[in-house]
Amino acid sequence: MSPVLTVAAGAFGISLTAGAYALSLRARRYYASPFTTPVLFSTVIVIAVLLAAGVSFEDYGPAKRAITAVLGPATVALALPLYKNRQAFFQNLVPAGCGLIAGSLGTMIVAALIARAFGLAPDVGSSIAIKSATVPIAVEIAKLIQANPALTAIFVVVTGMIGAAFGPWLLDRARITNPLSRGLALGTISHGQGTAQAATENEFAGAVAGVAMGLGAICTSLAAPHLIPLLVW
Amino acid sequence: MPVAAEKIIYGAQDVAGAFRERTFDLLGRSSEFTKITLLLASQLLGLWALNVAGDWLVGVLHVPVPGNLVGLVALYALLSLGIVKVSWFDPLGSWLIKHLAFFFIPITVGLMDAAGFLLSHVVAIAVALVASAAVGLLLAGFISQVLAGKMARAGDNP
Repeated sequence: MSPVLTVAAGAFGISLTAGAYALSLRARRYYASPFTTPVLFSTVIVIAVLLAAGVSFEDYGPAKRAITAVLGPATVALALPLYKNRQAFFQNLVPAGCGLIAGSLGTMIVAALIARAFGLAPDVGSSIAIKSATVPIAVEIAKLIQANPALTAIFVVVTGMIGAAFGPWLLDRARITNPLSRGLALGTISHGQGTAQAATENEFAGAVAGVAMGLGAICTSLAAPHLIPLLVW
Repeated sequence: MPVAAEKIIYGAQDVAGAFRERTFDLLGRSSEFTKITLLLASQLLGLWALNVAGDWLVGVLHVPVPGNLVGLVALYALLSLGIVKVSWFDPLGSWLIKHLAFFFIPITVGLMDAAGFLLSHVVAIAVALVASAAVGLLLAGFISQVLAGKMARAGDNP
């Protein structure tokens, strides 16, 4: 792509994404439901417009690179609410740790067993089992346990979307109201997207989710090489 | 001096005064705007530098941890040690966290290229992903809430 085209494609992609996001915020204000959570709602709009306009994901690349470049600094900023709420966080270190370990091991075991029950191939089953780790770590774990890294990345992204869209609804139904627990659950299961969703509810929940995302991924990477060969073969 | 001429002069002075006020106002506002832009840019630069440092450290140490998590921990450590202050990062940091979801949209848009595989095993994949996410969310949320509640009650009645 020529530089001019790259800039034009980037500007189009960024405006489209920002417009879809702004629309999702408005939609959520009028009708709050799992289907109007920002990531799910905006993704559907962006994909629909790209398909309708005949734009491939490759041509959306410049916008993707520009927007996701801010993802790293934004995640680093989660240290701020964590620091502001450090007392509440360290007081609940033991409950948070227990919830984190139970959540990341539980989701791994259930995913692997269901994949096996449906007769999915072992490399697909292993890829599904580690989907709650954030993408950069999940791809590394995939190599360790003979899973498929590309498939793993897809399952990670879908899990992020499922948890961000339906997680808050499920936690409401289960009467899980503590911001610490909500952030912990969303970050442990739905990594970055869950963290983003938790941050829209409550700044402290977002900070807890950010830490849970990291610790959950470490927990998954330590357990997967031992646990998954027992569950998937 | 004729009254008419006086009126014209005073009128012109009023216009000039109003014009000057407007200009100063505009200048004041634009310098405010520049100041805010520079402040936000320096805050983004600070967060970005921490992120780059995290990526670099992960590369050097070969640990399977994302660089931005290392950046998060580094910022927390710098805040705890009193080397940096929350106010150095705050207006921008809070805004980025509030709109964190926006920065994930391009990643999920990538699903449009994976639709073929996902649809060929849609039931098995959907059941495995949805059920395991639900179990994990409930386990993590429920256990931490019950234990945190127990600890709070134990703290109330020592």
